[in-house]
Amino acid sequence: MKRQLQSLWTNGDHSMSFLFLILVGWGLLMIRSATLGTRFSPMAGKQALWAVLSTGIYLLALIIPYETWLEYAYLIYGASVVSLVFVLLIGHRVAGARSWITLGPVGFQPSEFAKVAAIMACAAYLKSVSGRRAGLREAFIMALMVCVPAALTFLQPDLGTTATFLPILLVPFYLSKAKLSTLLKWAFAGLCLLLVMFAIGWFSFFKPYQKDRILTFMNPSFDPRGAGYQLQQSTIAVGSGEITGKGLYSGTQNRLSFLPAAHTDFIFSVIAEETGFVGSLSLLTIFLLLLSRFLNAARLSRDAEGRFIAVAALSLILCHLLINVGMVLGLLPTTGIPLPFISYGGSFLLSMSFLTGLVGNVYARRFVE
Amino acid sequence: MNLQQHPRFETKFRFLSFLIWLVFLVLVARLFYLQVIHGAYYKIMSENNYSRKVILRSPRGIIKDCHGVVIARNKPSFMVVLDTHARNQSAAFSEARALLGMDLKRNGAKTGSGGITGPGLAIVARNVPITVVERVEANRRLLEPLHVEMELLREYPFGKTASHAIGYVGFVSTKKSRDSAAELWDPFKLEGKSGIEKTANKVLTGINGFRSVQVDSHGREVTDPSLRIPYLGQKKEPVRGRSVTLTIDMKLQSILEKAFGGETGSAVFMNPKTGGILAWVSLPNLDPNLFSRGIDRKSWVEISRDPRHPLLNRPIQGAYPPGSTFKPFVALVGLHDGKLTKNTVFSCPGFWRFGKRVFHCWRVHGAVNLESAIQNSCNVYFYHAADKIGINELSRLGKVVGFGAPTGVDLPGERSGVMPDPAWKRKQKLGPWVPGDTLPIGIGQGYLTVTPLQLLSFYSTLASGGLRYKPHLLQGPPELLSRIDVSPENLSVVTEGLWRVVNAGGTGGACAIPGLNVCAKTGTAQVIRASAGKNTMSLAKKVRDHAWFAGFAPRDDPKVAFVVMVEHGGHGGGIAARIARAGLEYLFSVQKPVPKKKNEPKATAAVESGTKPVNMDPKADSGGRKP
Repeated sequence: MKRQLQSLWTNGDHSMSFLFLILVGWGLLMIRSATLGTRFSPMAGKQALWAVLSTGIYLLALIIPYETWLEYAYLIYGASVVSLVFVLLIGHRVAGARSWITLGPVGFQPSEFAKVAAIMACAAYLKSVSGRRAGLREAFIMALMVCVPAALTFLQPDLGTTATFLPILLVPFYLSKAKLSTLLKWAFAGLCLLLVMFAIGWFSFFKPYQKDRILTFMNPSFDPRGAGYQLQQSTIAVGSGEITGKGLYSGTQNRLSFLPAAHTDFIFSVIAEETGFVGSLSLLTIFLLLLSRFLNAARLSRDAEGRFIAVAALSLILCHLLINVGMVLGLLPTTGIPLPFISYGGSFLLSMSFLTGLVGNVYARRFVE
Repeated sequence: MNLQQHPRFETKFRFLSFLIWLVFLVLVARLFYLQVIHGAYYKIMSENNYSRKVILRSPRGIIKDCHGVVIARNKPSFMVVLDTHARNQSAAFSEARALLGMDLKRNGAKTGSGGITGPGLAIVARNVPITVVERVEANRRLLEPLHVEMELLREYPFGKTASHAIGYVGFVSTKKSRDSAAELWDPFKLEGKSGIEKTANKVLTGINGFRSVQVDSHGREVTDPSLRIPYLGQKKEPVRGRSVTLTIDMKLQSILEKAFGGETGSAVFMNPKTGGILAWVSLPNLDPNLFSRGIDRKSWVEISRDPRHPLLNRPIQGAYPPGSTFKPFVALVGLHDGKLTKNTVFSCPGFWRFGKRVFHCWRVHGAVNLESAIQNSCNVYFYHAADKIGINELSRLGKVVGFGAPTGVDLPGERSGVMPDPAWKRKQKLGPWVPGDTLPIGIGQGYLTVTPLQLLSFYSTLASGGLRYKPHLLQGPPELLSRIDVSPENLSVVTEGLWRVVNAGGTGGACAIPGLNVCAKTGTAQVIRASAGKNTMSLAKKVRDHAWFAGFAPRDDPKVAFVVMVEHGGHGGGIAARIARAGLEYLFSVQKPVPKKKNEPKATAAVESGTKPVNMDPKADSGGRKP
C-alpha cells in the first residue's frame, strides 16, 4: 500500500490536482460573492462542505486503482439507472423538471452521477473486450449504455442535462477503429439528423418555457422580463467588468440582484463582472490547462479503458464549459447547465471531482506494471 | 519515454486538442469583444441599472393677498403609489389591508384627479399619516408594488374663500409632462388648473431637482456601505417657484362672501385708478383643497351636477342682462351724441306703447329729467333715450367702453357677453333688427348680456373720468386699456344721478353710508319676460329677477368701484345694495387690518358686527321724490 502511494506520488499529475484545487477554491469564493447578502447566503458554507467532501472523493478516485473501480462499474451504473427511475417516480420538482431526490437534509441530482456511471460502465465494457480494438458494434453497445440514463433524464424532462450526455455518447465512436475523416462525415450526417429531430421535438415534445428560451436566444427582445432579461443582464454583467473587473464582492449586477441564478448557472457572469477580462481569461486558461492534462492522460493511457475515461471526462467538461460560458456570453441559448467545479451544486461537484480523480488515476497508472 | 503511446490515435488526439483550443478561443474572443471592446458601453448599462434619479420636488410659489396674508401654500405630505406594471398587485393590496388597516383599492387610484397619473404609476392613497409611511417602509418586500413618495400638497388656508380667484392645482397631464424634456419626468408635478394658479402657473412653478440613488433590481434603494459600489453622486437642488402677491384683500373678500348669506351670485371690488381687484366673489364657491388632495369621482359628479354650477366663475363666466345698471351708459351716450341733455324731459305714465307692443315701467314716474330718471330708474325715459340714440350708436359706443368683449382680466375662461347690433342679430339668424329690439337695450334687457366684470369695468371708467384700466388680480403696474373721450360735464350729470340713487331717496338708499358719497345704480334684470313690472320677491326663487348693484365711492375721488350681482335676488336695491354696503363700510370706516399672524384664516368678526342694519324694506326706497 505504501509503495503504491509512493508510486502514485511519483507518477501522479500534480499540476492536474493543483488546477482542480484552484477551480474548486475559486468556485467557493465566487459562490460566496454571488450569495452575499441574499437569502442564498448559507449556500456558500454548504458548498464549502461539499468542496471538502469532493476533495476527499477526488483523492479516493485517485488512490484506488481504476481497474478496481471498474470492477464496480456495472454496479454503480445499475444503481444510477435505478435512481433515475426512482427520481421520475418520487423526484422533487424544480423549475418544471423532476430531477431531485432528497435524502434527509441533502438533495441529489441522480442525473449528474449517471454521467460518471455511464462513463465507467463503458470503460468496464471496453475492458471486457480488451485485446480487440473496439469496432462499430462495441461502440453501439456503449452508446446504448449511455442512452439509457440519457433517455431517463430526458423524461424528467431536463433537456440541458440530457444534452450533456451527448459528448459521452460520441466518445465510443470517436475512439473506435474508424478514421477521423469518416467520423467527421458521420458527425455531419448526425448533425443533420439532429436538426430533423429538433424540428420534430419543436412541434411535439418541447415545453413552452423551453421554446421560449430558444426563441429568446434568437431574438433577445422577445420577452425582455423573462428569459431575454437573463440573457441581457448577463451580457451587461460580463461587459461591464471591463478589463480588470469591479472587484470581488463589488459587482453591481451580481450584488444588486440583477443577475439571475448568479450562484448556479450564471456564476461565470459574476467572475467576469468582478474580476474582469483578466479574471475570466485566467479561469478559461485554467480550464484549458486542465483539459490539456486530461488529453495528456488519454494519450499516455496504458489501456483502452483508461483512454476512454480520460477522453469522456474531457469531452464532458469541455461540453459543459462551452454550453455554460457560451450561454453567459450570449452565444448560446439559455440552458440550465452548470459550470464544472465553479457552480453551486453538491452532486455536480462530487461527480466532477470523482471523474477528475479517475483521470488522474489513469495518468498516474500509465505504466504497464 | 512512454512505450504505451498509441500513434494511431494521434490524429484524433490532435483533433481533440484543436477542439479544446477552438472552444477556448471562441470564448476568449467573445469575452474580449464584450469586456474590452464594448466594456465602457456595458459599464454605462450597468450603471443605468442600479442608479435611479429620485425627484426632489420643487415647492410651488406661495400666493399672498395684498396685506401679505398667505392664501396658498405647500404642505409636505406622503402618498402611497402603486407600480401598475407590477405582477403581484392584488397580493400586495391584501397585505396592505392587513398591515395598514387601510382599504386601498386599485380602482380608487383611477378616480383621483387625472386618474392614472402616468405610465406605470398610480396613487392609491394621499396625505397618509406618518405611521402608515413607516409601516410601508418597514414592509417593503411584502408590499413590493407599493411605495411611499413625498409630495408637496397645495394647501389653501382660507378654504372656500376667494376660490374662483385663486383657482386650484392638479397633476400635470401626462402629455404635457412628457414635453418638458429638460426636466426629469414627474407624473406628480402640480399645475394650475384654474384661477390665478393657472394664469401665474409659469411663475409659480419651480424646477424639480433630483438626486441619484442606488437601487437593486427591485428598485429598492440600497444604502449598505459594505457593498462598496461606486457612488455616482449627482444631485441637483430644486428651484422653488416664485411667489405672487394678489391685489385681493382677504378680509374684504370674507366680509362680502358672508354678506351674501348663502345666495348665489358674484361681487367684484376694484381700484378704478389701477384696475387692481380687491375682492372677487363668485358664489357658490368650492374648497380648492378638495381638488389639490385629489377629489373622488363621487364628489366630482356631485359638483358638476349641482344646479347652482359652483364651478362657474361668475364674474367672468356668467353673462346676464344688466338691467337698469346699464342706464347710466345709455345716458352718457345720449349726452355725448347730443340726443339728450341734462334737462331733457320725458313723461312716464308707467308704460310706453310702441307700435303694437307695450313697454312697461316699474311704476308711474310722471315727467322726469335725466338725473331723476337715473335716480328713480325710470324705464320709459330710457326707452325714449334708446329710441333716439339708435341701436348702431349704442352698440358702437358700448364696444368702445368694453361691452361684448373680454376685459382681459388675468383669470382664465372669460366670456364676452353680447353687445347686440343688427349685424349680430342677422348672424344669429334671429331675423332683421326691428325698432322694438332697441327699446329693451335702453334698460339693459333684450339681447344684451354682460358679465359682472364688464359692468364693473364700465363703472370704474366712470369713476376714473374715462380711464379704462385692465382689471387684474396679480399685483403689478396698472395697464391702461383706453382713454374714453367723455366730457366732464356729461360725466357729472351721470354721477349726480348715481349719487342721488343712493343718497337722495333713489332706489339704492340701502347703501347710503353717512360720510361717504356712494354713487351707484340698482338693477333688476328680468329672468322671464312675464315678470315685467311685478315685484318678483313673491315669486318662486328660480324665476325671481337678478339683483344688480354697481357703482363707485367716494364721489369726488373714487377709491373703489364695485359690482354686486345676486342671482334671483329680486330688486337690486335690496340684498345687492346691502352686500355692497358691507364691503364699503369695511373699506372706508374700518381701519385697515395689519396682518398679525401670517396665516390668519378668518377675517375678524368685528367688521361684521360694526355694520349697522339698514332698511330692508324695498317699498321705502320706491317712495322717493318725484322730479
